Amino acid sequence: MSESKNIHETVDQIIAEKGVKGKSVIPILQAIQNTYNYLPEEALKYVCEKTEITPEQIVGVASFYSQFRMQPVGEHIIKVCVGTACHVKGAGQVYDAFRRHFNLTGHEETDASRKYTIEKVSCLGCCTLAPVVQIDEITYGHVASDKVGNVLADFEKHAGISSGKKGLFRNVDGEEIQGEIRLGLGSCCVASGSEDVKKAVEETIADTGIHISLKNVGCVGMCHQVPLVEIIPKDGKSILYAKVKPEEIQGIIANHFKPQSTFGMLKSSVYKFFESVQTDTVWDGVKQYSIDAREKAVSDFLDRQIPIATQYRGIINPLDIEEYKKHEGFEAMKTCLFELSPEKIIETIKDSGLRGRGGAGFPTGMKWDLVAYNHSDVKYLIVNGDEGDPGAFMDRMLLESYPYRVIEGAVIAAKAVGATQGFFYIRAEYPLAVKRIRQALVYCRENNYLGENILGSGFSFDMTIYEGAGAFVCGEESAMMASIEGERGFPRIRPPFPAVRGLWKQPTLINNTETFAQVSYIIREGSAKFAGIGSEKSKGTKVFALAGKVNRGGLIEVPMGITVRQIVEEIGGGVQNGKKFKAVQIGGPSGGCVPAELYDTPIDYESLLKVGAMMGSGGLVVLDEDDCMVDIARYFLSFTQNESCGKCTFCRVGTKRMLEIMTKITAGKGVLKDLDELEYLAKWTQKGSLCGLGRSAPSPVLSTLKYFREEYIAHINGKCPSGKCQSLIKYQINDLCIGCTKCAQKCPTNAILFKPHEKHEVITDLCIKCDACRVVCPVDAVEIV
Amino acid sequence: MIKLTIDNHSIEVPFGTTVWQAAQSVGIEIPTMCYLEGMEHFTSCMICLVKDAKNGRFFASCSTPVFEGQSIITNDEETIESRKAALELLLSEHVGDCEAPCQLVCPAHMNIPLMNRLIAKDDFAKALEVVKRDIALPSILGRICPAPCESGCRRKQVDEAVSICLLKRFVGDEDLKNERPYKPQLAKLSGKKVAIVGAGPAGLAAAYYLQIKGHQAVVFDKNDRAGGELLQIDNEILPSEIIDQEVAQIVATGVQLRLNESINEFRFLELQKEFDAVVVAFGAVNENTYDYGLKTISTGVIADKTSYLTSSPNVFAIGNAVRYSKMAVRSVGQGKEVAAVIDNYLKTSEIKGYPERFNSKFGRLAEAEFLQYQKDSENSPRQKADQSGFTKEAAIREAKRCMHCDCRNPESCVLRELSDRYHAVQKRFQGEERFNVEKFIHREGIVYEPSKCIKCGICVRLTRNHQEEFGFTFIGRGFDVKVGVPFNESVQKGLEKTASIVAKACPTGALAMYNNEEQI
Repeated sequence: MSESKNIHETVDQIIAEKGVKGKSVIPILQAIQNTYNYLPEEALKYVCEKTEITPEQIVGVASFYSQFRMQPVGEHIIKVCVGTACHVKGAGQVYDAFRRHFNLTGHEETDASRKYTIEKVSCLGCCTLAPVVQIDEITYGHVASDKVGNVLADFEKHAGISSGKKGLFRNVDGEEIQGEIRLGLGSCCVASGSEDVKKAVEETIADTGIHISLKNVGCVGMCHQVPLVEIIPKDGKSILYAKVKPEEIQGIIANHFKPQSTFGMLKSSVYKFFESVQTDTVWDGVKQYSIDAREKAVSDFLDRQIPIATQYRGIINPLDIEEYKKHEGFEAMKTCLFELSPEKIIETIKDSGLRGRGGAGFPTGMKWDLVAYNHSDVKYLIVNGDEGDPGAFMDRMLLESYPYRVIEGAVIAAKAVGATQGFFYIRAEYPLAVKRIRQALVYCRENNYLGENILGSGFSFDMTIYEGAGAFVCGEESAMMASIEGERGFPRIRPPFPAVRGLWKQPTLINNTETFAQVSYIIREGSAKFAGIGSEKSKGTKVFALAGKVNRGGLIEVPMGITVRQIVEEIGGGVQNGKKFKAVQIGGPSGGCVPAELYDTPIDYESLLKVGAMMGSGGLVVLDEDDCMVDIARYFLSFTQNESCGKCTFCRVGTKRMLEIMTKITAGKGVLKDLDELEYLAKWTQKGSLCGLGRSAPSPVLSTLKYFREEYIAHINGKCPSGKCQSLIKYQINDLCIGCTKCAQKCPTNAILFKPHEKHEVITDLCIKCDACRVVCPVDAVEIV
Repeated sequence: MIKLTIDNHSIEVPFGTTVWQAAQSVGIEIPTMCYLEGMEHFTSCMICLVKDAKNGRFFASCSTPVFEGQSIITNDEETIESRKAALELLLSEHVGDCEAPCQLVCPAHMNIPLMNRLIAKDDFAKALEVVKRDIALPSILGRICPAPCESGCRRKQVDEAVSICLLKRFVGDEDLKNERPYKPQLAKLSGKKVAIVGAGPAGLAAAYYLQIKGHQAVVFDKNDRAGGELLQIDNEILPSEIIDQEVAQIVATGVQLRLNESINEFRFLELQKEFDAVVVAFGAVNENTYDYGLKTISTGVIADKTSYLTSSPNVFAIGNAVRYSKMAVRSVGQGKEVAAVIDNYLKTSEIKGYPERFNSKFGRLAEAEFLQYQKDSENSPRQKADQSGFTKEAAIREAKRCMHCDCRNPESCVLRELSDRYHAVQKRFQGEERFNVEKFIHREGIVYEPSKCIKCGICVRLTRNHQEEFGFTFIGRGFDVKVGVPFNESVQKGLEKTASIVAKACPTGALAMYNNEEQI
């Protein structure tokens, strides 16, 4: 009884805050889950009692979004990212390793002690650290299947310590600035430990009394080098340190700045460290700090890029509004508010040739025109930040690092189309983005960049955040609107298009985050300058998340028309470990692959469509000779199949049946006729599905069938040429074995007997193909046959 | 007004009209399942896809408004293929039987579950009527049939098959004992005549059904008694008076029986001229039988498998004359089928095979499903009968053992009708695993079988519009999405006001009233 009274009180509070209308259902459910870690039925029933929300709505919605759980979970939640980059780097095996660790069987997700619940997540957006595992708030990168124990041990060690919320944006004051330290605070950086690095910087400053300012900057894009620390001495040239560990910070700082207090104040251990790193000779020995090589890599990585959406990257603090203003921030908005008519703004955008960066490439100016043309007292604007493609994290980075630029673009668009209210729809998995945007909105309101009568221009517009609840399909605009309205994320047929009849039946403008991020540049620099970049039909730049088997992954902003080869070889520094380039997957689950023979394909909307790929939202995953294309296609299909909303026949059943055929093929049980049926289903799922998710779901399959059909046939003949498909491979130890027993020690199932100084053997029947032995072997004696 | 073209018809319709409505207005029918007139559309089944002639794109016609200058194709090969593909996908997850396995196994395709339900309700006369739609000689077959139906009976998986054959005998015998036995309704005489050579089970059945359809049937047999091979059966098993009584019932419909008339080849030619059609039903071929100049192979006269037409234009062949079988029920069934083929031939001069309707089927029950099926039956052991067959009480008790595997909406189901129309093949995309059948049965109201649901959401919208307290909702997402009552409330609770409304609107047999009998 007392528990239910308790629940009622909690729910009453939540309702008081979120409202009683049907549209509040998702925020209410999110709040309930935040409190209880799941949705107690009692609470949901009570919501129905106290609000306009019906049982039909609440159960329909709660069971639609993957964020919501109907069952209690363990104390801590382990999220194993199975995004594309993680998938190609063995996330499946990591997931299996966790399950083994906790002895989970069947559909169990929580261990016996109810301490941990394990789940797969589609993408945490830290692709360059793949495979990635998140336990509660702590993110671990480069997790191998045999490191599961270490990760958990580390988590247990830190769990208590990190429970206190850190002030992410706390600044350090210092009267005499000797220089500046810039520290990347994008998700990748944070995930790789930049928070601890930051703490170390603060401590060092406090300990040594060195007066330097610590500056948090947004994502630099060099996610392959995180955490990044950039030191800018007052007079000198800036130096970039990559992959910095917290314990190295004191040394780095001391190397550049003269401490004000005596060194005696430093702890002795630090002092010793300082001694050892004082001279450049020592630095040269540490490869990761090898300055020359680093600068070359940096320039290669950055030189081909043109930052527009990511302008001033690595320079401005994401949330420092003054700094944004100093860097031309809000100038375009002012121009639009005071000088340009809506028609003129739209004309400029049209002239720039900007097309929707969400994937389909609809001309942005034309879309704005349509919304402007439809007269209504109420019009809405939505910033689509529901980036769900596994392997894509552009929106996340833009929202985290350039919140003001996105807001500025949205205000300009609002003025142009006459929107009265705006929404940020941000996916649930991006808590940092939500936090930053929330704060940025507050600052904008304080500065009257949002709200009533913006800067006295007479134009009023404000924005709120709407957090997604875990449904890829909500990236589709009609599903997104249904979601904001408090419904299941079912897409609706178009026409009517949102421009005519959108959110709450009002004309609505929906653009991708990146599209909005490019608007201020166009207004400021003029449409001609933007249109001067790129190819004939695709203008300007596009932000890509470069990941997979590439040396330098990260976020890149490149001119349209750049070739795949240029991106991979020049910016990305080529394929990792000297392996052979096989293909690049573009556009994630809606896209396709560009094979090696089309390496010189220019990246623009038309060229990609022509080769059977798609711009998509901008995930770019490099695949090498070790990657199985059938497995990749199956991977994407299983993603879309799992994300299908289940509304229309072709997507709900078609993708399922296709996936079954793909699974059969990767299990070596396929027959040639399966390929015909697969193509037939792919064709009709493409033609007959209601929304873009279903219509594009078959693309990865069709594109691999087109370029790598022989791999499909090889699987049908019982062989996986890349040795990836578990049912078709065996592990063996060859004569190179030196009897070091490492493999036997790692093997989780005792499939390798411990025989020191003898050649080891894999007992195939016991082997679960977790790959741990192969990874650990010092002499490459473990092979896949 | 908006001008557009649909299948080359130029039409003008008001702004806001959907393509589906526009097509309807010029008599072009586009099938739909998830669309219910008067309710907001949902666009899920995708059966109503049509093609934009200009760009080849497909879209749902039920919910897309027309626009100026549109040109739409609703009936070309590709569009038809789209419907077939959608249907086959829906069928691949449709776990349900249109007709019960026993009925499908029965060579005469007798509606066994319906017979059982009527017996269980003590309505033996109606039960007999149902039996006689397919089996002209129930009392005879009730004694000699090897009852393939019982090996198809699902109850066999649970304990023992329902004693179908004896139940059929029971209703047959009840009728024979009746002072006013069943008299089928006879169509007006058409003036056409059909000769039937052979008064065995096949010939008798053909004559019976032809006569009912209004065509004068004349049966020739070389023996002095009708019955053909039935006469060879031990009297203990099949008493001769039963044969005589059932033959008499057939003759009572107006069938002419001409015994002691052997038909030689010359006479056969005459019959072909005198009669509008001739049915060869003279039993197994051997060296002593004539082939009447018809093409034969070693097993017998060659006849088309569905129309029974021989090499001669108006001559049909059925029963053992075509292929020997010990199963009289097969011959009886063919008698019914050839009568239908000939009826159509006499009316239209067209030979069309006996139509085989689409049937959804899923095979054996999983063990977890036994309980679900037993919900609709009584749990008693298979009843025993002595020489004289079932007593009334035993028959009723036995009939109540039937689990009613058949669908309650076999006639109104749109999925079945369209699958039939577009020749959809259920097995084409059969998945690896199927959903388990669940049955929510409210005997005074509605039955819900989620495994037959196509997720069109009509019921969800209806319960919402009628402001049910709980109603139906979508639960889950994607392939595993289900329609159900929120908070695990009972179906009854979910459909307090709308049970009969949603049952009527459901395009499949997922929701149906418990007592819905569409084939009575």
